[in-house]
Amino acid sequence: MNISADNAIVRLEDVHLSFGQTEVLKGIDLTVNRGDAVSIIGPSGSGKSTILRCINALVQPQSGRITVNRTRVDQLTRESERIALRKRVGIVFQQYNLFPHLTVLDNIVLAPTRILGTDRREAEKLARELLEKVRLAEKANAYPGQLSGGQQQRVAIARALAMKPELVLFDEVTSALDPETVGEVLWVIRDLIRDGMTSILVTHEMRFAEEISDTVVFTENGRIIDQGSPEQIFHSADNPRVRQFVSGLSGRGPVRDGEGI
Amino acid sequence: MQDINLTDLFVSLTGRLGLNYEFLATGYEAQIWRDGFITTLYLIALLIPVSLVAGLLFAACLTSGRVWLSTPVRAFVEITRNTPTLVQLMFSFLVLNTFVSDLVGGAQNNPLSPFFWVVAVVGLHIAALHAEAIRAGIEAVPASTVEAARGVGFSQLQILQYVQVPLAFRASLPAIVNNLINLVKLTTVGNAIAVSEITYASIMVWTQRDNVVSMMIVILAFFSLINLVVARIGLWVERRLAVPGYGL
Repeated sequence: MNISADNAIVRLEDVHLSFGQTEVLKGIDLTVNRGDAVSIIGPSGSGKSTILRCINALVQPQSGRITVNRTRVDQLTRESERIALRKRVGIVFQQYNLFPHLTVLDNIVLAPTRILGTDRREAEKLARELLEKVRLAEKANAYPGQLSGGQQQRVAIARALAMKPELVLFDEVTSALDPETVGEVLWVIRDLIRDGMTSILVTHEMRFAEEISDTVVFTENGRIIDQGSPEQIFHSADNPRVRQFVSGLSGRGPVRDGEGI
Repeated sequence: MQDINLTDLFVSLTGRLGLNYEFLATGYEAQIWRDGFITTLYLIALLIPVSLVAGLLFAACLTSGRVWLSTPVRAFVEITRNTPTLVQLMFSFLVLNTFVSDLVGGAQNNPLSPFFWVVAVVGLHIAALHAEAIRAGIEAVPASTVEAARGVGFSQLQILQYVQVPLAFRASLPAIVNNLINLVKLTTVGNAIAVSEITYASIMVWTQRDNVVSMMIVILAFFSLINLVVARIGLWVERRLAVPGYGL
């Protein structure tokens, strides 16, 4: 690995987090460089999604340092500071979680106009551009309930991008989708990464992770047990557990489950 | 005059059915009665927005997660829900109002009228019921939707404003309309402290004329009509707010 310190946009150092008695993260160290795509893979319940939630301060670790572009996330104490961080870090969830009472366009426009104070017309222009990008321009006036899962997820990606984030976190964004719609969502993410958007993905789409990632991180039981280039992780892993996990998946195509931690 | 003739015609026609509306031909009693209608309509027009705004505030306090906000509101809601409105009104008027009078140096200086107390007591009573309905609606908004809003960067208050309340309002609308129908009927408690709404005015007339049945028919028809309108408007709002492809 070749990580130059000043190019890091996200850095986690010895992050520990428990929910009650359950230790979820047991010392996570992770560095993500600007413009990189990092995939976090590993078995269900290994703390992958929790890592993402730490990065945009949706959960607070008990110890460790989290730095996002010079902001010490672990030291934020006030909600207003966390909000300031979340404006810069987009997140897309497994269950899309669009606002069901708003049209597609309003879902995308709401945050820029209400949080950033963007002029409504300008926000709409950007929203339409983003809808173009996620290939849903014709659905601007539809409601989430009228869209398929894959379409809703693409809207959710557009909603995150509308805040012009410095990086985007993707939390198992295809896990709730049927096999046919997975592809359309992955297309959109692939485009984004090619455009240079810093992305951290928790995913069970191994082939996709292999294709688009600069770094692949393998987690198990709240620890990162291996990380490296896709080539290293998927084809020449030293760690027997990693080898077992990826070989167990080979030839089976995309693997999905309902994991949501 | 055409008007007088119509009134006379009405009085004589209903008279043949055994009903007594003779007071309509008099100036004074007819005036009290007309004012009764207006007072009731005025009460309703004021109480609906008062109860809705207060109910929303109560619900916001109840779901705020802040003990110093939720505890007093919870206590108020419980007391209000569990005691008769008539007793609350009498307590407010006879105790609180007297207290205010003493505070400002005599009843002649007290700006609070019986009308005010009806609006305050009935309004807050119904607000307590609204608050429970809205709270249930707010709590029914999926945690994942709220988390998504947090993830985008909304503050707690903005999430309430743009996500939770719009969804909760849709979910609780049927219960709110029920409460409003109750509110319309509850305005009649005003007669206990001499607010001359329609029942008070009717009692004034029937004690003189002994025409209870005739007056009752009008009162019942009047309230039925108002509540029919309230229910219709509620249904209309429900349909207007219905979101395509969404369960509520």
